[in-house]
Amino acid sequence: MDTYFLMQVINGLSVGMVYALIAIGFTLIFGVLNVVNFAHGEMYTIGAFAGLVCINLLGWPLAFVILVALVVGGLAGIGLERLAFKPFRRFQDEASLKSRAMREATLLSSLAVSIIIKELIQHFFGAEMQTIPAQYLLNEPIQLGSISLSTGQFLILGSSIVMLGGLQYILYRTRIGLSIRAISNNPLGAKYVGLSVDKTIIATFAVGSMLGGAAGIMVGLYYGAIFPTMGFAPSIKAFVAMVMGGLSSIPGAVICALILGVCEALATDFMTQGWSDMVAYSFLILTLIFFPQGIFGARRERV
Amino acid sequence: MTDSISTTSPWRSRLLTAGLLLFVLAVVPAILSALGKSYYVQLANSALIFCILAASMNLITGTAGLLCLGHAAFYGIGAYTAALLASNYGLPFLVTLPLGGLAAGVAGVLVALPTMRLISIYFAVATLGVGEIIHVSLLNWVSLTRGPMGVQIYEPITIFGYRFSSLLSIYYIIAVLACISIYLLWRMTNSYFGNALRSVREDDQCAEAMGINVVKLKIQAFAASTFFAGLAGAVMAHSAGYISPDSFQFSESILILAMVVVGGLGSLPGGLLGALLLILLPEVARSLGDMRMVAVGVVMFLSILLLPKGLFGEVSAIDMARRQFNAAWIGGRQSVGWK
Repeated sequence: MDTYFLMQVINGLSVGMVYALIAIGFTLIFGVLNVVNFAHGEMYTIGAFAGLVCINLLGWPLAFVILVALVVGGLAGIGLERLAFKPFRRFQDEASLKSRAMREATLLSSLAVSIIIKELIQHFFGAEMQTIPAQYLLNEPIQLGSISLSTGQFLILGSSIVMLGGLQYILYRTRIGLSIRAISNNPLGAKYVGLSVDKTIIATFAVGSMLGGAAGIMVGLYYGAIFPTMGFAPSIKAFVAMVMGGLSSIPGAVICALILGVCEALATDFMTQGWSDMVAYSFLILTLIFFPQGIFGARRERV
Repeated sequence: MTDSISTTSPWRSRLLTAGLLLFVLAVVPAILSALGKSYYVQLANSALIFCILAASMNLITGTAGLLCLGHAAFYGIGAYTAALLASNYGLPFLVTLPLGGLAAGVAGVLVALPTMRLISIYFAVATLGVGEIIHVSLLNWVSLTRGPMGVQIYEPITIFGYRFSSLLSIYYIIAVLACISIYLLWRMTNSYFGNALRSVREDDQCAEAMGINVVKLKIQAFAASTFFAGLAGAVMAHSAGYISPDSFQFSESILILAMVVVGGLGSLPGGLLGALLLILLPEVARSLGDMRMVAVGVVMFLSILLLPKGLFGEVSAIDMARRQFNAAWIGGRQSVGWK
């Protein structure tokens, strides 16, 4: 096989893994709350900036930096839930859980919170790109036969796989994972058998935002640039992956995120950098037109 | 309340409303400009353009209940069509203005044809995607749109040989255009058409059962709304003289959405008030500096949290207008609600 082609595929897989980490957060939150969290891209930015602060002010080693990004992402997720989602869950009856008004209110409130977070970060850190010190950059080349790869790709692929494994463990082996699955399957039923809906939602936000925050700092370390609006493009692409995967299926979201990443990397062969964004958006439109339920999604009830 | 309507003659209050409008829209800016405060006139220009945008978005997002997250893209199509026609072919304002609106409307229909069958969040996501596609095209199709360099219009607005080059005269053109488009949108939302859209918003399956062609209706509403957004874009291109893709990205769509939400979804006066509020508020609070968008976000968040119906919810806005302007708004009164 052509080595350049193979390199692009590996490159695309590592980018796709980042999309997958963000898309899982979207999918988890959509599964549990049935609303789209538009502030999820900001969790990614917050993770990246938390890592940047650790590097620039504290000079901590790499493993700790990623750990801090994880923790700060999780805390930010909990704060986001308190601020933008909790106030709109005043009513617990079936009609308001399914009502369109409530879903649109949370959609708009998460949009508003995302604007506030983005602009506050811009206010405190400045709108320009922040550079990462050279010793932290993850772009040392590694030669594997005729293919040259970089350490960042290995780190992103490796740690994403570890995190996905951890997520599977949480979801299928722990009590909190059981309640997350129960609530995403049937919120009222789960409530009636005594599960705490509030605690589960907070846990979901924490887990989803942790993955998002970690993705942010890893991309920052790989590309070497962190800026306040960095969350927008990846989160839109993660969102596309989630819609393609069928909105509430985690394996579907991961597979579609990887497909998206590889397609984008291969598309740079045929078009310039700016146009390659078009791939994700066209995938989105085509999916919505031809597979409104998502490629891997089961049929959902019409809501 | 009904007594006060019947006791005053509709003509008198109509005259009153017209006089009030004339004073606010024509006399105040003239005084401001005579006092040399041209900055405020410029501000009024952009406030009026955003009024058109908020009113047009209100038709689909408020009245028809379709959350559109790509409205700025249609604004951009109108602006680019007008600017490119004017700068490449030297077409006059009176030709580029309707062509800008038409281009956006045609793009709206093309977008609407496949996406209108999508429901709730899927439609919002589709419009977001379309908005981004259009923004990426404006940014990267350098041979047509000159990419990030933007397009410049050197010729001032010329109507029948008269050159509108001063700020105040441009303001008057925008004011007249805003009045006409807002009046048309107001008539549209308060007609049979608008009521049908409301029924689609409340329950589309029920509306379909009552014999409304839901998809066709939504496409018509989307076309009308994008037409007016394109009109706003065309007049913006001509009045500013320079446009670049930066003015037509996702954050602008959110700004327009915030205006409609703050004002109250489904209420046109509310949308206009939201537009004025969100354009003028950051200017009043100049000390906030670059926190302008933070203020927009905070205002939007608080209004969703504390005023779920916006400043004027759909019904209360009509009540307010009826009380303030008396029977001048009677045209809208008969066709809203059950009465």
